[in-house]
Amino acid sequence: MVEKVDAAWYKRAVIYQVHVRAFYDSNGDGIGDFQGLAQRLDYLRDLGIDAIWLMPFFPSPLRDDGYDIADYFSVHPSYGTLDDFKSFLTAAHQRQIRVIVEMVLNHTSDQHPWFQESRSSRENPRRDWYVWSESDTRYKGTRIIFLDTEMSNWAWDPISKEYYWHRFFSHQPDLNYDNPTVREQMWEVMRFWLDLGVDGFRLDAVPYLVEREGTSCENLPETHAIIKELRARVDLDFPGRMLLAEANQWPADLRPYFGEGDEFHMAFHFPLMPRMFMGLKLEDRKPITEILQQTPEIPPSCQWALFLRNHDELTLEMVTDIERDYMYDSYALNKTMRINLGIRRRLAPLLDNDRRRIELMNGMLFSLPGTPIIYYGDEIGMGDNVNLGDRNGVRTPMQWNGGWNGGFSAADPEGLYSPLLLNPVYGFQAINVASQKRSEHSLLSWMQHIIRVRRSTAVFGAGSIEFLYPANHRVLAYVRQLGEETILVVNNLASTAQAVELDLRNYKGRIPIEMFGKNLFPRIGTLPYLLTLGPYQFFWFRLRKL
Amino acid sequence: MREMIVSELSLAMQEIAHGFAHFLPRLIVMLIIAFVGWVVAYLVKALLRSILHLMKFDKVSENAGASEFLQQAALPSASELVSRFAFWVAWIGVIMLGVSVLGIGGLQQHVSQFFLFLPRLLVALFIIFFGFLAASFFSRAALLAAVNANLPSPRLLSLSIRVIIVFFVVSMVFEELGLAEQTVLLAFGIAFGAGMLGLAIAFGLGGKDLAREFLEKRLAREGGHEKEEEPSPL
Amino acid sequence: MNVGEVDLLVGLPTHNNAETVGTVVQAIQTGILKNFTRERAVILNVDGGSKDTTCDVVTASSISDIRRAYNTHALRTLPAISVRYGSSPSSETALHTILAAADLVRAKACAVISPESVTIEPEWVSRLLHPIYREHYDYVAPLYRRPKFDGILVTNLIYPMTRAIYGQSVREPYPSEFGFSGDFGNQFLLSHNWRDEHGQFGTELEMFLNAAGSGLKITQSFLGTKGRAENRSDDLVAAMRRTVGVLFLSMDANFERWSADMSRHTGLAANPEYEIISDSSRVNRKRLKQMFSDGVSQLDSVLRSILSPSTVGSLHQIAALDEESFRYPADLWARTVYEFAASHHHSVMSRDHIVQALVPLYRGRALTFMVENRNSSAMEIENSIENLCGEFEQLRPYLLDAWNDGKRGSHA
Repeated sequence: MVEKVDAAWYKRAVIYQVHVRAFYDSNGDGIGDFQGLAQRLDYLRDLGIDAIWLMPFFPSPLRDDGYDIADYFSVHPSYGTLDDFKSFLTAAHQRQIRVIVEMVLNHTSDQHPWFQESRSSRENPRRDWYVWSESDTRYKGTRIIFLDTEMSNWAWDPISKEYYWHRFFSHQPDLNYDNPTVREQMWEVMRFWLDLGVDGFRLDAVPYLVEREGTSCENLPETHAIIKELRARVDLDFPGRMLLAEANQWPADLRPYFGEGDEFHMAFHFPLMPRMFMGLKLEDRKPITEILQQTPEIPPSCQWALFLRNHDELTLEMVTDIERDYMYDSYALNKTMRINLGIRRRLAPLLDNDRRRIELMNGMLFSLPGTPIIYYGDEIGMGDNVNLGDRNGVRTPMQWNGGWNGGFSAADPEGLYSPLLLNPVYGFQAINVASQKRSEHSLLSWMQHIIRVRRSTAVFGAGSIEFLYPANHRVLAYVRQLGEETILVVNNLASTAQAVELDLRNYKGRIPIEMFGKNLFPRIGTLPYLLTLGPYQFFWFRLRKL
Repeated sequence: MREMIVSELSLAMQEIAHGFAHFLPRLIVMLIIAFVGWVVAYLVKALLRSILHLMKFDKVSENAGASEFLQQAALPSASELVSRFAFWVAWIGVIMLGVSVLGIGGLQQHVSQFFLFLPRLLVALFIIFFGFLAASFFSRAALLAAVNANLPSPRLLSLSIRVIIVFFVVSMVFEELGLAEQTVLLAFGIAFGAGMLGLAIAFGLGGKDLAREFLEKRLAREGGHEKEEEPSPL
Repeated sequence: MNVGEVDLLVGLPTHNNAETVGTVVQAIQTGILKNFTRERAVILNVDGGSKDTTCDVVTASSISDIRRAYNTHALRTLPAISVRYGSSPSSETALHTILAAADLVRAKACAVISPESVTIEPEWVSRLLHPIYREHYDYVAPLYRRPKFDGILVTNLIYPMTRAIYGQSVREPYPSEFGFSGDFGNQFLLSHNWRDEHGQFGTELEMFLNAAGSGLKITQSFLGTKGRAENRSDDLVAAMRRTVGVLFLSMDANFERWSADMSRHTGLAANPEYEIISDSSRVNRKRLKQMFSDGVSQLDSVLRSILSPSTVGSLHQIAALDEESFRYPADLWARTVYEFAASHHHSVMSRDHIVQALVPLYRGRALTFMVENRNSSAMEIENSIENLCGEFEQLRPYLLDAWNDGKRGSHA
């Protein structure tokens, strides 16, 4: 086991998000599995990450990529057995890699035995495990999340002739958290996996646990009470395990999910991510600094989770209409790229496969306050396939080499769970781990390097942030500080060379040491500190007192 | 007796011829000098004319209103006038020089006096020229301003200003030429003082209502009342 | 300037406008944020030595990441910069600064807005910039809604003359608000002789004339009601110097252009709106007539140097008319103006005096215009002006003769 004494490990970690199905197929059935994932742990260790976040691998009809769970205590047969999982977990821990598991608390698949029972009749003991109603007018005004496919949050059950509540797809009925039995049961689910040794959960769709009439049915106090309870139990029996909230809300609305350090350890900072892309396109730091100015302070033991892309669409829920239109026109002119209120593209295609921009965005990801999460494949610059339905375009098989099926599986290409990328720019022959490992200057090597640099200091994960506001609004500059250690980060968001004068009077006398090359820069004096940056260039400086 | 007259005559004739013969070369030299002087003066005139042309002197004097004045006086253009004046001064000067060199007694002093007088003459002409220019310009400016401000008796105002300036200029010229200096100065002083006193009395006693009205109008205009009567032109 | 490259630049020349500039800047910002959401823009205030808080008001309204924007959400930074070009106001230097700045930031479309436009709406910005930025015009002149007897100097002199000479039917050739393309701005910046010979004002007219003379794409855009600050005194003589004086001087500079046969017309179809806003017939007709008649008689000697004998004679004739029957006919007016222009060209006297001498005559013409149109509708006024323009155009050959001739006045 990894030392449990280190309760704040998540503040210094770099997390790697992966779907077991997409990573590596060990048995040639065309679907990635746990044995395959275990075989690839060395790659992840070499990359330098500290934790893996696994997407749902439970038995499921897979109508929502595994987020529709049909059995909480097992592993989907396509990915292996529970024993395979345990072996993988052990192997990960041996390499000092923690494992975070996805847990969907809010709803189950309609194929789950619980729901099957619940819907069988109105008198069934499990009837009350879900939210039933005679009419579909309850909780009116609650927003629909999957706008492209769902018309209502209520679905008609022809078997028991009542409506059931579902915030997501209609085949994902919401559990009824007003029922104490349900709450107890879900704790048992969590306990099961914690006992096996998982280091934390990413709890999906937490804002929607509880519904109340006359509200938005999101972020209700009752929901927070449930979370507090869960957290208390985790801390008591499993200290050092981490709870990560998935709540696509404004920062001010997210703040309650940290409680007073007694709810979630971590939460995703959703609104920041689209603004990073926006700032890059506008060549203006304003969207980024504005959202971070609006981000509230969180308890010292808590941490934001930052990311550039993930398995979902690049969500544009938390932006204004003007901003959304701008993002669509800038990044998803082709309407097939748009889904729900977002853009379903990977990082590299979004940035036109521009190495400089990819580096800059990663640079910001690793230096802004929070724990960075890398989406599998983005470390080699994988592309996407917008012709696949839903958000599957960003969930294609990992590209290991230029050979058979990109080294992902021995199966026939037609038998893979998803087609491979074949085009000359992003296809597996062009973008793969093996070829990038051969070059010191590949994106993969660069990612390894920057992760190493980040790990060399605790400032990025745990330090404070102070923004500098130089007159040149194309430059985003901030100072990270933890104890005696001070790091200056300067990012050029423009596609053209820029000059910037920074007010560093507070750090007068210090010497900036550029952290990648370790070269000394001129000492800071009283005059504004002049820096010149090439297109999309960034600097990390350790401000050293001599 | 006849022989005496004849011998006296022939003696006198001899002396005249002698004197003449003595004088003739000088005369010839004098004529030569005069001729050279003419050439020099002509060159000076031509040179000055081109310089003035380059300086656009005519344009300047037009702008100042002198051209109009000259035209009215049936005089040639300003630069032409100046050039011609320079011509005459140069020629006369050279002739004077020639005369003095020839040693025609008595004239020496006059010649030097003439040359001493020249600069003052020049200055005086200068003062007249620009003085009249100024008088013309300012009187017209006053006329226009008064008309546009709807003041009463603009022509009177314009004329007064012209007279004052001309008077002033003439006094300066007289002083410069050294003609009846004291008289002129005194006369000017008296006239100016009397004029001022008269105006003061007129304004103070007779025109106090007018003055008040005038001031009111001035101040009122600044308050924007005039706008009510006349819509904005732009 | 740390502004970097922009797409739009809005220039705001100020001098002690703290009272009104705040409103104007806000309107500009709203206009930009609404109509040019994604464009990079900057508001540039060029100040001529304000002693009040004008510059502070402008810079305080900058939209950046340091302060939150008010109601309108801004996608990107919209800086509002203030630059001092001197210690006393000069619209020539102000415009020079704006053009130089536009060149530095490579602005594609620019507009100049008056800080006194208290009636400004956010749409003004769009109406000035849109034709440049999206329809690729080079110059946009404004059109205003005005009281019907506002701006007679423009409608009865500057407009007809500019139209006759340059073939451009631009209603406000001397605007305090206008738009221009970055390319034209740069061209004017390089070609114009930046001196103070024009006095301190009038460069806007120069700029328009340059555009007109260069055959660039010019259009007019209706803005709204023309506003001005309350306490501004509009000295007629100063106004004439700024406009007529500049116009006459420009004719010297642009002689080759306008002397050629300008049969082509940029037929700008926009009709200005005349709203019969207030009953402005509080015109003191008697006073105007008196000023005209006095002017003609008092300035007789001056006028004889400027005008032809027949024109002087006609003026005396109409000056002798009584108030009721007084009329300053359009053709006589056109002839008068042209003779003035020619005399100005020949510098028959101090040029400033020539301009001043025109003032009382203008008053007479203004009176006639107001009397003839006191009950007219907007359309009828338009026709009246159109007729006047026709007179000016017809007499164009006369102007050319007088221009080339040189004989003026009553010399024998």
